[in-house]
Amino acid sequence: MRLEQLLSTRGLVQQTPNAYEIRDRARLVSPQPIKLFYGETYDEKGDTIDSIKYYLFVAELADALREEGFKVDPVILVADIAACRNVTIELHNRYMVLGNDRVRFVEQVNEVYGTDLRVVRMSEYIDSSWFVQKREEIMQICEADSILMECIEKTVPESKVDIERKNGFLYSFDEIATIIDLDVKVGPPREDLYDTIARLIAEKIVTNGIRSLFLTPTFPLGMNWAYFFANEGIEEHGITAYKAGSKQLHRHRVIIGRSNPDYIKQLITDSFISIDSSLPNPVLDVGIISEMARKRLEHDPSPIILADDFYSGKITPDELKDTVGENVEKYVLLKF
Amino acid sequence: MADEERRKELEQIANEQHDVKRSARVKELAYYPEKIKEFGAKPTERFVRYHPNPSRLMRMGITFAHKDLESIADAMASNKPWAVVSGLNPSGSLHFGHKQVFDDLLWLQEQGADIYIPITNDETYVVGKAQSLAESRRIAYELVIPSIIAMGFKPEKTHIFVDSDYPDIYNIAMDVSKYLNLNRILGVFGFGKDEEGENPGTIFYRGGVQLAQILLPQYEEFGGPKPTLVSVGIDQYPYILLARDVARRKDFVNPSAIFTKFALGLDGKGKMTSSRPESAIFLTDDIKTAEKKLKTAYTGGGVIASFQKEHGGVPEICPVYTIRTYHFEEDNGVAEDCSSGRALCGSCKKDGIAQVLAYLEDHQAKLPEARKRINEYLLNTQVRSILR
Repeated sequence: MRLEQLLSTRGLVQQTPNAYEIRDRARLVSPQPIKLFYGETYDEKGDTIDSIKYYLFVAELADALREEGFKVDPVILVADIAACRNVTIELHNRYMVLGNDRVRFVEQVNEVYGTDLRVVRMSEYIDSSWFVQKREEIMQICEADSILMECIEKTVPESKVDIERKNGFLYSFDEIATIIDLDVKVGPPREDLYDTIARLIAEKIVTNGIRSLFLTPTFPLGMNWAYFFANEGIEEHGITAYKAGSKQLHRHRVIIGRSNPDYIKQLITDSFISIDSSLPNPVLDVGIISEMARKRLEHDPSPIILADDFYSGKITPDELKDTVGENVEKYVLLKF
Repeated sequence: MADEERRKELEQIANEQHDVKRSARVKELAYYPEKIKEFGAKPTERFVRYHPNPSRLMRMGITFAHKDLESIADAMASNKPWAVVSGLNPSGSLHFGHKQVFDDLLWLQEQGADIYIPITNDETYVVGKAQSLAESRRIAYELVIPSIIAMGFKPEKTHIFVDSDYPDIYNIAMDVSKYLNLNRILGVFGFGKDEEGENPGTIFYRGGVQLAQILLPQYEEFGGPKPTLVSVGIDQYPYILLARDVARRKDFVNPSAIFTKFALGLDGKGKMTSSRPESAIFLTDDIKTAEKKLKTAYTGGGVIASFQKEHGGVPEICPVYTIRTYHFEEDNGVAEDCSSGRALCGSCKKDGIAQVLAYLEDHQAKLPEARKRINEYLLNTQVRSILR
């Protein structure tokens, strides 16, 4: 798929630098490869189809740039250290093991869909001297700048600000040090805050600054219109893509290797969808992921037009649900 | 010369009136957003975006705000039991101001609600709007209830009661009143300096009976606690707060509310009300009376056609415009035609009159049959649970 086509995929890409900016960055860092990055944590509830959305997108972006002759380094970060931060000490070891599972999952995706994503674990570099040094440098810059420190505070939920302040906001600085020298960072829109701070700091240490590319938010399946009506703000933020248990909604997610296809079809049938493109459309989202999967399996380079077809009325809501139910089973669930 | 002077005089009057009407529009447009802010209610736009088939009044922003509609939406979407309460005071026949509320109730019934309609003839009497309880009962049974039935409510999901003829409501009023005290009621309703002049019946009505009506569907005999929606004008928000307070203490579901804009009076002096008969089209008005009221109605237009063509009218404060759009049609450019000066009041009134008269003819033709069916709609369930 051509870069422009990929970046303008309706229903998949929410905000992106334009193709010229990405090419400029690739030229700027040449002969080094342009670093494309997606990072995620995880939980005990399993690997979501929504993670595959990000993996396949990073892979497609890498392929599109390679076709134009650029060197590319597509990286998936499994943030095991970050995942362990929210669990008790007793669960720490279990979560590190779950990190192994997530790494294997990305490797499986590489095998099934012929992608070449490089998997990195946060634990591999977090204590390395180069990373600690980079983090120290960032901390010093922020501590000397009250506005930046205010921004850092905002990355922490209000209830945890005091604890984090005692820890010197170490976790937030780990995140920023991880992303500060990336080229293109793919993620959900809710990561905008970290990305913005990283760009502000990058200006001070004269690095290039990351380009953020946000895919559309993730929504639960099988929920009626009343659920979406009652959850104000869900349109902007959705639920956490890579954590199946986000908001305790794991029964409303497609979990690879666990979800029964018939159950998922029923969830799809029961899902709220609207022909208003500004409203959440969880079915279309799964449909686009399945379409990305199909295209890789069938080596089909054509653009993804499922959202265009749906919102222009070429496909009715019922047809969309039927198609997506079949495709998610065939091109995703049965492949694992 | 005299003609020229007369023309100038008329233009001056038109200018002055136009300024007054535009000022009124500013006030009218600001009123409801201010109330939303004041009471912490939410606009209904979000509901309209998500509901598969929202009511016309919601789409048009006439039912403009809500409190806690989320719990109702959940019941609506999941086919769980829920109820709607909307009472009215039988001081005379229903008018178009009532009709707009009942239009929304019909839609709510289509969405699955059981509709409870208390006819508050006790209030009518204690506040002095009826000479006797007997008169208020006559109005309820002869004028109000048949009109409600003629609007098309389903008997199996409609529960009408006249307060004085449904004494169980007073037992419930006693039950809920023990969760309140006089200070709280006076604080909410602000009887103020005249409170000593209020009769005890009024205070019991406001602090007991009104809340009993709102909470009635949640008593055991009606299936127990359930989401309950109250359809009221925004000025009645304090009742909702009191009812929510009592509901919490009784382990009931907190009542929700939707708020509807007031219908504008045809006399241009405020809201449509039975207390100013010329302000209202009553559903029992004969055709000639209704036509005359509309022909002579205050409008948002100018006193001379040339002025209106040039400066346009002010539809937001025009009762004819609101009757047309609240009751009969989506805006479809009516406001734009008015404010741009393309349409004048004469043609607008003509369209409005045709719509109103057609409705009245149809409605009044249904009344004889409706009168025969009153018993199908009357609530007679005895509430014994609080007496055990």
